[in-house]
Amino acid sequence: MRLPAQPGELIDRAEPLGFRLGEYRLEGFRGDTIGSALFANGRRVFSRSFKYHRPRGLLCCSGHCPNCMMTVDGVPNVRVCVEPLREGAVVTPQNVLGRLDMDFLSVVDKFGGPFTPVGFYYRTMIRPRFMWPVYEKFLRGVAGLGRLDEHAGHSRRYDVEHRRARVLVIGGGQAGRAAALAAATAGPGVVLVDESVRLADVELPGVEVLAPARALGIWEGKLVPVDSGTVLYRYRAERIIVATGTVEQPLVFPGNDLAGVMLPEAARRLIRDFSLRPGQRAIVLAADERAPEIAETLREAGVAVPRVVDLREGARQLEAHGRRGHVRRVVVDGEETKCDLVVVSGGRQPAYSLLSQAGGRVEYDESLKVFVPRDLPAGIEAVGSVTGEGIVRAEGAAAYEGSGKCFVCICEDVTTKDVKRSIEEGFDSIELSKRYTTVTMGPCQGKLCQLPSIHLYAHELHTYEATIGTTTARPPWAPVELGLLAGRHLEPTRRTSLHFRHEELGARMMWAGPWKRPYAYGEHPEDEVRTVHESLGVIDVSTLGKLLVEGPEAAQLLERLYPNRFADLKAGRIRYGVLTSDGGRIMDDGTVARLADDLYYVTTTSTGADAVTAWFEWWNAVWGYDAEIVNVTGALAALNLAGPRSRDALQRLTEDELSADEFRYLDAKHIEVAGVPCLALRIGFVGELGYELHFPSSAAEYLWDRLLADGARPFGLEPQRILRLEKGHVIVGQDTDSESNLLSAGMPWLPKMDKDDFVGKFALEHFAERDERELLVGFTMEDDVVPAEGAQIVVEGQPAGRVTSARRSEQVGAVIGLGWLPRDRADAGTRFEVRVDRRLVGARVHHGAFFDSAGERMRS
Amino acid sequence: MSFVLACPHCGPRPVDEFAYSGEVTRRPQSSPTLRELTDYVYFRDNVAGRQREWWQHRQGCGEWFLAERDTRTNEIISVSLPKPGT
Amino acid sequence: MSALYFMSPARCTPETLASPLERGLVGAPESLRDLSPDGKVELRGDLARVGLAEGDELIRLTPRRGFLLTGDPLAAIDRSRANGVLAYDMTGALGGLAFEGETLFRRLTDLDPGALPTAGGFARISAILVRDEGERFRAYFPQELGHYVVEVVLDVLAGLAGGRSHRA
Ligand code: FES
Ligand SMILES: [Zn+2]
Repeated sequence: MRLPAQPGELIDRAEPLGFRLGEYRLEGFRGDTIGSALFANGRRVFSRSFKYHRPRGLLCCSGHCPNCMMTVDGVPNVRVCVEPLREGAVVTPQNVLGRLDMDFLSVVDKFGGPFTPVGFYYRTMIRPRFMWPVYEKFLRGVAGLGRLDEHAGHSRRYDVEHRRARVLVIGGGQAGRAAALAAATAGPGVVLVDESVRLADVELPGVEVLAPARALGIWEGKLVPVDSGTVLYRYRAERIIVATGTVEQPLVFPGNDLAGVMLPEAARRLIRDFSLRPGQRAIVLAADERAPEIAETLREAGVAVPRVVDLREGARQLEAHGRRGHVRRVVVDGEETKCDLVVVSGGRQPAYSLLSQAGGRVEYDESLKVFVPRDLPAGIEAVGSVTGEGIVRAEGAAAYEGSGKCFVCICEDVTTKDVKRSIEEGFDSIELSKRYTTVTMGPCQGKLCQLPSIHLYAHELHTYEATIGTTTARPPWAPVELGLLAGRHLEPTRRTSLHFRHEELGARMMWAGPWKRPYAYGEHPEDEVRTVHESLGVIDVSTLGKLLVEGPEAAQLLERLYPNRFADLKAGRIRYGVLTSDGGRIMDDGTVARLADDLYYVTTTSTGADAVTAWFEWWNAVWGYDAEIVNVTGALAALNLAGPRSRDALQRLTEDELSADEFRYLDAKHIEVAGVPCLALRIGFVGELGYELHFPSSAAEYLWDRLLADGARPFGLEPQRILRLEKGHVIVGQDTDSESNLLSAGMPWLPKMDKDDFVGKFALEHFAERDERELLVGFTMEDDVVPAEGAQIVVEGQPAGRVTSARRSEQVGAVIGLGWLPRDRADAGTRFEVRVDRRLVGARVHHGAFFDSAGERMRS
Repeated sequence: MSFVLACPHCGPRPVDEFAYSGEVTRRPQSSPTLRELTDYVYFRDNVAGRQREWWQHRQGCGEWFLAERDTRTNEIISVSLPKPGT
Repeated sequence: MSALYFMSPARCTPETLASPLERGLVGAPESLRDLSPDGKVELRGDLARVGLAEGDELIRLTPRRGFLLTGDPLAAIDRSRANGVLAYDMTGALGGLAFEGETLFRRLTDLDPGALPTAGGFARISAILVRDEGERFRAYFPQELGHYVVEVVLDVLAGLAGGRSHRA
């Protein structure tokens, strides 16, 4: 039943909208919120409370309280009182077993009373221990608010938009609008954000109005995220004006949570915005000056108001009683009045949260009996009632005595009794008690319970509110969907120029750091290993980090960055290099080719490119050598052509001379392959004759196709790992960790300690004076089982080390691996055991390569 | 963390464009004792107040620079380019 | 500089070349244009000494580091190096995409569209952003992230067009 058209009503009676509540089909109008439409359909109970499952109805109608949270179109915890109604919306109640008006869990309220005081779970459910799984299962089932739609992430789109404002005004009340208009006279860039739809059509010259939208907080750097539904606007403002006004406070008295107990604004909105009569017979209880005004509004809407109580006129005893959770009568100082609506006004508290998040101080104002913001940081201002301006002191907002539950926090179902009890138990500071009772920690985030609970603490502790202080206000100011905060799912994926070729060839792609790389092309990586040993394989190694270091002092720079020597490297030659930190730890490895006197070409591991570049640049910012460091990783594709047939195959595609004398192992040579200029590096990570070709990434597909047409078979990362293990080559980060150094990882020959300085030298000097506890060595398993990476190494029944890599090698005819062993167990041939599944399997230490240990094949 | 840091070249940018590399340390000149070395490698002053530290405009111009920041408020007092060799 | 010829797509036979954005842009709106094949040169040194040819566009990142967008990267490299400025062919290193609309721009980066060109965060990666007349923009980014960038841009565009579902 709607009232006759009200001036300025928001509904459009010409446009009915259909929606569903559970199994019911209902109707509302365009302009309704889901809440007002439900109310118009006679719904008075909107939710069940968190702990006691008490029926709850519209309290604030402003999106502040927890009472109207429902699931709408699969999204849980939607405040339906502010959620615009849309055609076909599907609304389901939450926190209910059964129906809203017949919730089976409400027995908790009737019988569970004494069993669910604050801290009940902490104390009780831990005993007896073996019962916990049973308790937990039940608790998980009934706890929490709403159910997440696990597929919602795929059906909803969230976006983030970055915006700037010269002046951002938050709150579109009188003060906010005036401030915005004043700011606009000084120029453009003024934005006003308001939660209400009413502001959507308001024209303010020179001001961009964003409504309905909600400022979620004020972060460092004057960052204000604004929630506008499915787009999050990230505003950076030069100046922020907060005009968030006040939040109407409830009264604290027994029965204060019954459906039908409303704040004045709720009644006002139902009447003015939606032309609904909030009740038939109302009682007005006001602790501030607003009693007559509220009564007047109600009467105009045809509500009978038999009783209007100005609580400031003296101490009162209040009680509300109801049936089926809905208020039926109110007793004031022993005098009973029948009613179906109680409009309560407990005064107004400045909505200071945004200001205190921004770094403002909050202070209790003794004369107003509310908390007010003070000492705002530069660039942040407050105007209007949020400053305390115009607020009338409330008196008599709490009546703690009487029968029935008296809620101080409706979100978390915390009663005055719970707070008293927590104080008795010693939680006498607000921050401690908050964590124990969870008061102010519910969906309203303290909007309706902070002030009443602080009054209660002051009352119980016989002290002043100013002494108690407030709890910390943290963003977000209003609940927000996680999807909106997460925004678009952005996962920068690096793909080599051959990515789609790999996919076309049926490669199984895997993550390798930020890159996607082929694991293998077929079901059997060992087939790809065999190809490399017997004929000709090719692997895409474009992911290698690639750096140019150029300048008159390039050699000095590298000499100081690497433990080994690069100044004496001849142009056209390559040397292996390992980077260490000043703590002596291994950071990355790769090859360094000297292309000219003042030009080096450095490769890093696939995941190391960015870090190594930054590392080089940082040291050079410290040292200031005349050398440039340029990361050219993406400019170049790289292919490793490996296998006994590689020289012949490559020779067919180039006119440059590739003979063993002309192009030796560890030579770097400029050649042209099938019309593509390449830097060819003769190196042998996989242990066979091989050429690493580096060339413009734009030509990658072309050259790859040519090589494949010529008989090269692609191999993936897994076969490469088998191949390198056969050679005993270490993978930094796989076989080494943040504790590994060159001495323990089997490379004592690498650092040149006679150099003046290099990064890591000081630490290595100290390492050299002590014996390493553990060494990285190879091993061969006695049985044909492959231990997992990280498998435990056992010596004399005691854990003594770990496996870092292990694979089955056809070539070697055994399972081989690398692992860390105690130094006195690391001699070649020493036997130890490895835990594989539940049993121990014997293994023996092996030094050097497992295959072609002289390296003749790769040098051939 | 959403404060704004001014790159010496690019001007004010949100902090997530930058890489942070900790407080400025003093590297020992030669063959430090184990104590001097661990002091340098592992120990930081970690002041509550003004601190000189390294930043890199990683997503922008790439420059490494020094900033003086109040660790309590994230207020940036100054930024400067390093003078190499010091 | 001959020691770095192996970086230059311009030294390859033209039919060997492909763009990192090619596959992603199939069927994309015409407002998106692939600029990846355009010449791009990274400069290190005193940028005041770089000689510019007709149509060259110099983007200064620092006084000693810049990018040159040029029709002839090989000539530009020779010219810069002759003037004592180190130059590297980054044509293959950077993908390039032209797009339209300030809202699209704002959904991808919080850079100030009024303060371009510059380098900064873009769709969670690093890119160089340039503004042309009106609401037309160009972005240059590591080519290995090119396909990713196109995916994101297309998805944001779908969102702006009122689409609801992510990568449906
Ligand atoms: S009634 Fe909807 S939030 Fe209070
Ligand atoms: Zn910068």
